[in-house]
Amino acid sequence: MITQPAVRGADSELVSASWTDPEAFAELFDRYSAMLYRYVSKRLGPEQAEDLVGETFLIAFARRRSYDLAYADARPWLFGILTKLVSRHHRKEAARYRALLRAPVDSAVESPADRVAAGVTARAVRAELAGALAALPAKDRDVLLLIAWGDLTYEEVAQALGIPVGTVRSRLNRGRRKVRAALGDTNPMEEE
Amino acid sequence: MDDLKLLRDLGAELEHEPPATLARQRHRLFTGRRRRRPGWWAAGLVAVATSVAVAVPVVLVGDRHDPDRTIVAEPVDVSGTRNVLVVGSDTREGEGNAQYGPGQARAGVGARSDTIMIVHLPADRRTATAVSVPRDSMVRIPRCGSSPPRVDMINSAYDNGGVACLRTTLEKLTGLRLDHTVEVDFTGFKDMVDALGGVTVTLPRPVDDRASKLRLPAGRSHLDGEQALGYVRLRHYGDGSDIARIKRQQTVVVAMVRQVKSALGEPVKLEELLKEVRESVRTDLSMESMYQLATELSGARLDVASVPWMPHPEDKNRIAWKQPDADKLFATLR
Repeated sequence: MITQPAVRGADSELVSASWTDPEAFAELFDRYSAMLYRYVSKRLGPEQAEDLVGETFLIAFARRRSYDLAYADARPWLFGILTKLVSRHHRKEAARYRALLRAPVDSAVESPADRVAAGVTARAVRAELAGALAALPAKDRDVLLLIAWGDLTYEEVAQALGIPVGTVRSRLNRGRRKVRAALGDTNPMEEE
Repeated sequence: MDDLKLLRDLGAELEHEPPATLARQRHRLFTGRRRRRPGWWAAGLVAVATSVAVAVPVVLVGDRHDPDRTIVAEPVDVSGTRNVLVVGSDTREGEGNAQYGPGQARAGVGARSDTIMIVHLPADRRTATAVSVPRDSMVRIPRCGSSPPRVDMINSAYDNGGVACLRTTLEKLTGLRLDHTVEVDFTGFKDMVDALGGVTVTLPRPVDDRASKLRLPAGRSHLDGEQALGYVRLRHYGDGSDIARIKRQQTVVVAMVRQVKSALGEPVKLEELLKEVRESVRTDLSMESMYQLATELSGARLDVASVPWMPHPEDKNRIAWKQPDADKLFATLR
């Protein structure tokens, strides 16, 4: 006997269900709003994050009928919408990174154990990293951060931004090259 | 450690956990952003929308029944006069089925605290008058929608029949023509502060409020929308009184008006601000008319008033309008 509503599987099923039953879309929100929030909080800070996540879902909801059901995973779609919204705040984003250049490393909020876990190196080069991010062209930064902070694959980034995978690779390489240059290219464990 | 790993670590450092309020955004999905509910104190901001000049008194007046503030009748030019009905409440959400009215939809959501005021803009635009209507005024409410005519608290006209019903009720009571309506909620307030690029306030003592997660040092601080909202809503700060809270609201609104005034000289900035305002409030005023009003009113003098009132003869917890004083006041606004 089925007393529970059927558990829906793939995101694409939720989207298609929402065509006739709009409420089904709320499940997508429950799945991904926290993830999107964390991502945008890294780029723009918590003040903007909540609103941008809400906006992302509003836009997605309005466009749910044009979703390509061939894609089971809706994350790239949502990240794509969010990226466009973030791009409206590019100046603010750059200012946020630049602020890190000046801010002293705030070690008071973390225990020594945390610092060891996070790697003292990352903290030591924070200013350089932030400076490089602030200086990156928006398109390269989008790709780099979707991979580093959004945990998308190359294919997913391509889908999110509507660009070929080759372009994702070249933008990523360019972005990483600049970051490494900012770090002084001295890192012995560097890849590629 | 490679560069991507370093970047990820930086990301982890910058990351914030989603707050519980994120759930509000879920709600937006089905209610739509244009159907937000109106915050009484945010009514001050409405005024930023309708006119810079009225912003301060609107909050000043908000929610207080102070008979001493009753306006001194003065001659008012009639031509080109506009009266704007301003409504605010601190109910967050819950606009539901229009057929049942917002009142039912909000039942159980929590205390509602409506501000109702009539902002009078005379033709010469040299003065502006904000007349607040105590929300617990017992008045005659005409038939609107499915509600029969009755004598009830004036905010029930709004709660049951929306702004249209409140407008009809007030037009009947005051004999004024209410040309426009503006409704605002506290999301609107937040957005407006952000649109202004934040506000600067000077705090006598530091704030560390758990409930709103607001932490501010003593002295000058620049607040964004969220912080400003937290600040005006603080309850356990200072002497904790409602009057103290109203004062903080005034401080913030005064700071906002200062920002708006600086925008008045820059048409592009002003237009941008008004666009944001337009998104945050519900009004039948067009962008153009708001722009026009804002520029026209930049040099206006402000008067604030309350409808003259007295305790209701049958229920001391209610208010009755004092006649003929009330009628005299409205006569000056025609």
